Amino acid sequence: MATKNYPDPILNEKLRDRYYHRDQSNPEFTKEIEKIAGTMAHMCFQCGTCTAGCPSAPRSSYRIREFMRRAVLGLEDEALTDPDLWFCTTCYSCTDRCPRDLAPTDVIMAMRNLAARRDIVPVNFLKTVQAIYSSGHGVPNNDVNRAAREKLGMTRDPPTTSMYPEYIKGIQKILDHYGLKERADRIIKEREG
Amino acid sequence: MAEAVSPTTSKKPETPRIGVFICHCGTNIAGSIDIDAVKEYAKTLPNVAYVDDYKYQCSMPGQVNIREQIDANKLTGVVVAACTPRLHEPTFRAASKDGGLNPFRFEMANIREQNSWVHMHDREGATEKAKDAVRIAVAKAALLEDLYPKSVPVERAAMVVGAGVAGMQAALDLANAGIKTYLIEKEPSIGGRMSQLDKTFPTLDCSQCILTPKMVDVGRAENIVLMVNSEVEDVEGYIGNFDVTIRRKATGVLSPEEAEAKGIVGGGCTGCGDCGPVCPVTKPNEFEMNMAPRKAIYIYHPQVVPLLYTIDWDSCVKCGLCVEACGEKKAIDLEMQDELVQVKVGTVILATGYEVFPIENKEEWGYKRYDNVITSLEFERLICASGPTGGHLVRPSDGETPMRIGFVLCAGSRDNTGIGKPYCSRFCCMYSLKHAHQIIEKIPGAVPYIFYMDIRSFGKMYEEFYYRIQDEGAKFIRGRVSNIQEDPVTKNVTVYVEDTLLGRPMEIELDMVVLAAAVQPTELTNKTRKLFGVSCSQDGWLLEAHPKLNPCGTTTAGVFLAGACQGPKDIPDSVAQAEGAASAASIPIHKGEVELEPYYAMCIEEKCAGCGMCVNLCPYQALSLVEKDGRTVMQVTEAKCKGCGTCGGFCPGGAIWMNHFATPQIVAQIDAFLLGGEQ
Amino acid sequence: MREYAFFLGCIAPNRYPGAESASIITSRRLGIELLPLNGASCCPAPGAFGSIDLNIWYAMAARNLVLAEQMERDIALICNGCYKSIYEVNHKLKHNDELRDGVNEVLKEIDMEFKGSIDVWHLAELLYDENIVGVEKIRESVKVPLTGTKIAVHYGCHLMKPKKERHMGSTEAPRWIEELVEALGAEAVEYRNKMQCCGAGGGVRGYDLPHSLDITNEKLQNMIEVGADAVTEVCPFCQLQFDRGQIEIEEKFGIKYDMPVFHYNELLGLAQGMSPSELGLDLHAISTEPFLKKVL
Repeated sequence: MATKNYPDPILNEKLRDRYYHRDQSNPEFTKEIEKIAGTMAHMCFQCGTCTAGCPSAPRSSYRIREFMRRAVLGLEDEALTDPDLWFCTTCYSCTDRCPRDLAPTDVIMAMRNLAARRDIVPVNFLKTVQAIYSSGHGVPNNDVNRAAREKLGMTRDPPTTSMYPEYIKGIQKILDHYGLKERADRIIKEREG
Repeated sequence: MAEAVSPTTSKKPETPRIGVFICHCGTNIAGSIDIDAVKEYAKTLPNVAYVDDYKYQCSMPGQVNIREQIDANKLTGVVVAACTPRLHEPTFRAASKDGGLNPFRFEMANIREQNSWVHMHDREGATEKAKDAVRIAVAKAALLEDLYPKSVPVERAAMVVGAGVAGMQAALDLANAGIKTYLIEKEPSIGGRMSQLDKTFPTLDCSQCILTPKMVDVGRAENIVLMVNSEVEDVEGYIGNFDVTIRRKATGVLSPEEAEAKGIVGGGCTGCGDCGPVCPVTKPNEFEMNMAPRKAIYIYHPQVVPLLYTIDWDSCVKCGLCVEACGEKKAIDLEMQDELVQVKVGTVILATGYEVFPIENKEEWGYKRYDNVITSLEFERLICASGPTGGHLVRPSDGETPMRIGFVLCAGSRDNTGIGKPYCSRFCCMYSLKHAHQIIEKIPGAVPYIFYMDIRSFGKMYEEFYYRIQDEGAKFIRGRVSNIQEDPVTKNVTVYVEDTLLGRPMEIELDMVVLAAAVQPTELTNKTRKLFGVSCSQDGWLLEAHPKLNPCGTTTAGVFLAGACQGPKDIPDSVAQAEGAASAASIPIHKGEVELEPYYAMCIEEKCAGCGMCVNLCPYQALSLVEKDGRTVMQVTEAKCKGCGTCGGFCPGGAIWMNHFATPQIVAQIDAFLLGGEQ
Repeated sequence: MREYAFFLGCIAPNRYPGAESASIITSRRLGIELLPLNGASCCPAPGAFGSIDLNIWYAMAARNLVLAEQMERDIALICNGCYKSIYEVNHKLKHNDELRDGVNEVLKEIDMEFKGSIDVWHLAELLYDENIVGVEKIRESVKVPLTGTKIAVHYGCHLMKPKKERHMGSTEAPRWIEELVEALGAEAVEYRNKMQCCGAGGGVRGYDLPHSLDITNEKLQNMIEVGADAVTEVCPFCQLQFDRGQIEIEEKFGIKYDMPVFHYNELLGLAQGMSPSELGLDLHAISTEPFLKKVL
């Protein structure tokens, strides 16, 4: 019994079918994750070592073990639409300690990549893309810093794309190859107007 | 090519008539191989006189058919295309023999393990491969010769290496069956790991109380020659006739018998203990997991068997105070040397046990970095009334009684990181339940926290024991501990774990944590197994001949396994396997003789140049040079030869004939494969 | 003099320029010349870029690697985030032909090709390596020992983890940066959960600032518990999180710590006799004065 069409929408939501049904699993999702992450996610045996040492777990509802379980079961929608997906600090403690020698961190990264394909990606990630597209730097130089550098006897701009903006073209070409800047602009506009 | 003639048979030219029997093995083979196609093909092969197929060739009708067709078709050789020779070669040899053929006229083609099972999805390819296998087997069968196994007498004595509970039990059984048994132990006392344990699960017997009677029995058994402080140094020979060299390490102390042999009447060590107190050197006692002191002249504990002191040469300063204290007994000899003893035995049981994996390698749990993180064996000594604290469990950091104690299960077991062990150590769940019970019983108000992935309580009355401990108040948290942090001031240890059932991370401050560390084979196991030619699995545990049907045997005839050296085992399983091994090891001894496979090398003397290169190459010292009719030629000691073929493959003159794997036979097989039967 | 292409990243040159200049000056005294890597960009940020599309992350990092290949110099860098991007992508592209071909397909558009001809090092590991600099040589270079100070070392994550893809030993209880700190005359203190993340990584600082600061706050409390006078790290992003993060923690949680934060090369500069103004310590959000008073 998957869907209920009771006339009362409140009741409909309250009595929503909580059963797991096989059609919620997408086995291709598991395979795709394993391909991107390069780790045998389906071998997770749910010991919880990952969550136990996770710096984000004790201050949020983020449970990396649950994302691993979703990877095992192929629960694609559930994984990709969960805002907790973005709480991983990529500290790799879980990867170092996993007794099955899996890389849960890389599973999260793979899920984020797949979410991003659906345009599910936080705005701050995309703003970094915009900054790099225009300056080559995620954290660009500014006038206060230029003055400080000068005081230290350094060049006002570091010898990066800041000093050599002619290199920015190459960066833009790479990003344009993937259409990333265009996508970032569009999504940010949709979210922030 | 194939004109060399066996030195054993008279050159009676015979036209080979081979019968080929193809087994379906239900659908195991027939499901992936076209049996009819193989059958039709076999009929076209040279020397094939009869071809048949059957659903189960190993069944009684299948065997009877082989017997009848040998007679009806005057067959000179039999080929069965079926499973691996490891399973049914003996069956079909017997069937051939029943039909009046020499059993070594039988040849097997493996079309199951090496074909149908691995090419399940390629029927055409599998069928072609089966044809190849049959053709090759027929080519060999046409050249097979009559061979006759030899019998050799079996020495009426056995050896057991390792005197833990498994080794002791095996030795006692053999001795009680009337067999003289050498029991070899590297430590100064018998008893092994079990003697270090406080109580045993699930019955909660005192481990020492149930073990010491056995230890005493071993010490007193007339048929047991006990050698402690001893290691196997060298092994020669084969089933029935192993010549084993034992290194008896110098203990610096004479037993009363040894003293008497030296003419010291009424002397030798009585275990009186006068020497220990005067010894100026103090060292940690390994038996107490280094948590209690001992002297350089010491016994592990008061119940040791044999009750003889031992000198630790690495720390002895040879001051001579112990010699003075010993006085007229003259038991101490500071100049004693190691002694090599040779014994001859018919069969051998390896019972070399286990040791704890160095759990400090799993750094996240802080063992050796945090005072109050200990291992389960350390816990056993701390909770044991005869242990270093008299059975009062204390925190190593401050000697206080811990009230909240964590038990980390699967510590280093079920670990695929390459640091720990991939296997389940099998008894940690149960002893940790027992530990939980012990602290509840001994420390009023103490709470055990058991961090587990699964509780594996598979044995008799084990699940019931789990039920009982949960009822007694142990807290079970289903999650694997990710890491442990120490409070820099209180030295309390905080465990980080997820309660995976709640989906909630937990930070649990405890007074002490006990790591149920993985186990691994003992350090000496690898050396000892190599001396006896026993294989081990990837993780170092000794390999049984068959995991289900021959769990006590090894692939080396006459060598058997008992206890944890074969894989982690609790006490009941160790004792059970020990009794099995003892029974298996006693069979050849009671029979009095064993048949040896007639696969030995033979010298074709007219071709032998007497160069002697093969003599040096032989790994079994089976070859020698002798004078014969004025010439130097090689001679094989058949009983020592294992038929490995090293000499035969090397001999520059082609003067060595390997029975059953003779050059013409092998060349015929290769030709049959490469030329596709067009010989 | 060993020469390396100095990969700057973003935060050191653009927020903590003292860390950049201290690295160049202190290294030169120890036999390492850090040459400018002209035209380098953001590594790019492994959290932000890796999360969106790992392939873009590979290609962008590869562009930086090719710049150094063209200089025929190994890369040295001073940021753990940069280390993850530059070291890891270099390693992956060297050992995975399929990946390398895909990246080179893109780089062709800008007339570049990844060849895999150089290696990537964190300056801290070069300083520790006794075949290059080593603790002894650092000790000998000290003019103003930091005696009497207690310093908490924050290793950060991407320098050493994941352990299997690195080569720096223990990720649970390492001591090698402590050894580098002790070479300066300071006491390196052990504290609870030393190897925990600063909280900034994976895009979390931008995604949910209070969440990331809450992690930082926990670390600061653990450092204060053992009486640390300062934090040191080898990653300007961690530095930003601890330094500016304290201001944000005060704003959001109402807790004030005043715990000075130093990049290790700033501490090394101090110990080698550089003045606070030469090191740009006045640019730090949290005043380093209480610490400086103890040593100068």
